[in-house]
Amino acid sequence: MTIRLEKLIPLPLLEQDTTGSGIWEAESVVFEQGERYSIEAPSGRGKTSLLAVVYGIRKDYKGEVFLNNSNIAGFTGKQWSAIRKETLSFIFQGLELFDSLTALENIQLKNSITRHKTLRGIEEMAERLGIGDFLQKKAGILSFGQQQRVAILRALCQPFDYLLADECFSHIDRDNSQNAFRLIREECENQGAGLILTSLHKTDQMDVHVRMKI
Amino acid sequence: MRYLYYILWKDHSRAHLLWAFLGSLAGFVLLLAGIQFYMDIKSVLADNQDLLDPEYIVINKKVNIGQTLGLIGAGFSTEEIEEIANQPFADQVAPFISNEFPVSGYTENERFPDFYTELFFEAIPDEYIDVKTDDWKWDPNEGTIPIIIPQDYLNLYNFGFAQSQGLPQIPTGVISAINFRIRLRGQDRGDYEDHAGRIVGFSNRIHSILVPHDFLVWANAKYGYFKMNEPSRIILVSKDPTNPAIIKFIEDRGYDTIREKLKSSRLNIILKFIISFLVVIASIIIALAFLVFLLSLQLMISRSSEKIKRLNKLGYHYREISRPYIALLLILMTGVTGLSLLITGILTRQFSGMAGVWNLDISNSLHGIIYGTAFGLITLIFIANLAAILISTNKLCK
Repeated sequence: MTIRLEKLIPLPLLEQDTTGSGIWEAESVVFEQGERYSIEAPSGRGKTSLLAVVYGIRKDYKGEVFLNNSNIAGFTGKQWSAIRKETLSFIFQGLELFDSLTALENIQLKNSITRHKTLRGIEEMAERLGIGDFLQKKAGILSFGQQQRVAILRALCQPFDYLLADECFSHIDRDNSQNAFRLIREECENQGAGLILTSLHKTDQMDVHVRMKI
Repeated sequence: MRYLYYILWKDHSRAHLLWAFLGSLAGFVLLLAGIQFYMDIKSVLADNQDLLDPEYIVINKKVNIGQTLGLIGAGFSTEEIEEIANQPFADQVAPFISNEFPVSGYTENERFPDFYTELFFEAIPDEYIDVKTDDWKWDPNEGTIPIIIPQDYLNLYNFGFAQSQGLPQIPTGVISAINFRIRLRGQDRGDYEDHAGRIVGFSNRIHSILVPHDFLVWANAKYGYFKMNEPSRIILVSKDPTNPAIIKFIEDRGYDTIREKLKSSRLNIILKFIISFLVVIASIIIALAFLVFLLSLQLMISRSSEKIKRLNKLGYHYREISRPYIALLLILMTGVTGLSLLITGILTRQFSGMAGVWNLDISNSLHGIIYGTAFGLITLIFIANLAAILISTNKLCK
């Protein structure tokens, strides 16, 4: 799947100086499937907005977004649900976990509608992320870094053509971030999927194909 | 899926749902019991004189000394009948016709004592008569005259005359089997004919000796020689027998009628009023309970709005998200229907037992219409709530 942006700009950014942005100033931006993109910028440059527009949860923008040449403006709720189960996966900056469910239940909430991973598979991934011991704990009592890894794991419990990862390592230490990135990269490669990773800081240690300015 | 139910059911308000449930239950029981009671009373009253049907009122002129002396006519003139027919309460009016020749009856049966009496006949069109029987027809070739007498006559005989005279009491079935002869006499001596007569029914409505209208028309044409141009009684059908205008009209014109009938009609109207009142109250309670239901579910949805949006972000479609609400609704609605039918059933059984003591024949099972009403209403409430749930979850998932 390709993601194509045509003169896209979220409305709040219209009044902002976007000089030098490789995305908001460009006539057309194309994300190819199978490629890994990293977008690094300080906060307030519109990283989250970009991903939210592509994922269909922000509608306040000018310009056009195409998923495989279909304009997303015409998608119905049903189509978006299908896309979010099968085509696009999102690691939310705000995590969007349910505090009253355990880490595993949060993951199963997603996995139960996609039936993508076995319990064994989930446990293995949790071990690699260093949260194997926390699966039975309520999400609400985990540290933010642990919660971030639960959110990463949940996002991997579905088939996707693109993984949109919004500052998903911000509260994870360097070693665990490396582990998590490797897991993400493997999953993307297994599925032949693309990755768009946003972060506040340099991600030199992460192996991506394209680094973009926003 | 169970996680979805767990998350969304967490935000219910137990108090709201409980009150909505109890309110609906109370409303349903009141409504269903009201309808059940109405159906029962209606059938009891229908057995006792068709009180819920239009009333048949027989009107005659008051007998006064002028009539006794033959100065004033005892009959209704054409104008007077016209006037009655034009009253707003009068739906149908028919004059009685009488025999215009002498009639007598006598028995020819050895098992009964000899009996001879002078008679009179009256007739009104068939549709005014409360006795429905196939024997009620006049066939000149066959010659048997069917007769309807008031139930009261038989009662007078059985409970008054027969007992005091040491005569046998006669049940209605037997009396129909008694054959007696009717003699119709013309003006000239020797001008008569005899017919078989048979009592085919007993009327509670009309206090007269009735024969088929076409028979009397035929016999009057053949033997009649008294001049009886004006009918002395008329029958009036009113769909609104409690209308006070009827009694006022009858009194103002100096007419007379049996007031007892109008009294029982008033009872009927009061009963109808009480039951309508009950149904109105029940409807209001149900409407309020329905509103509380609707609002509780909507409140539950709006409390969960952040969760619903989050689930939608995870790929849940709004129809999937609304499932826990629909399930909850189904559970509550099934509970209300089941429990209200159960309670109404128990009440009916209790009431039937009590009514049995008073010798009222009231069914101890629910009428079909009760099930129909319960399911119809619950389906309506369910559909309305379902629509509201789908609309509001869809809105949150936009």
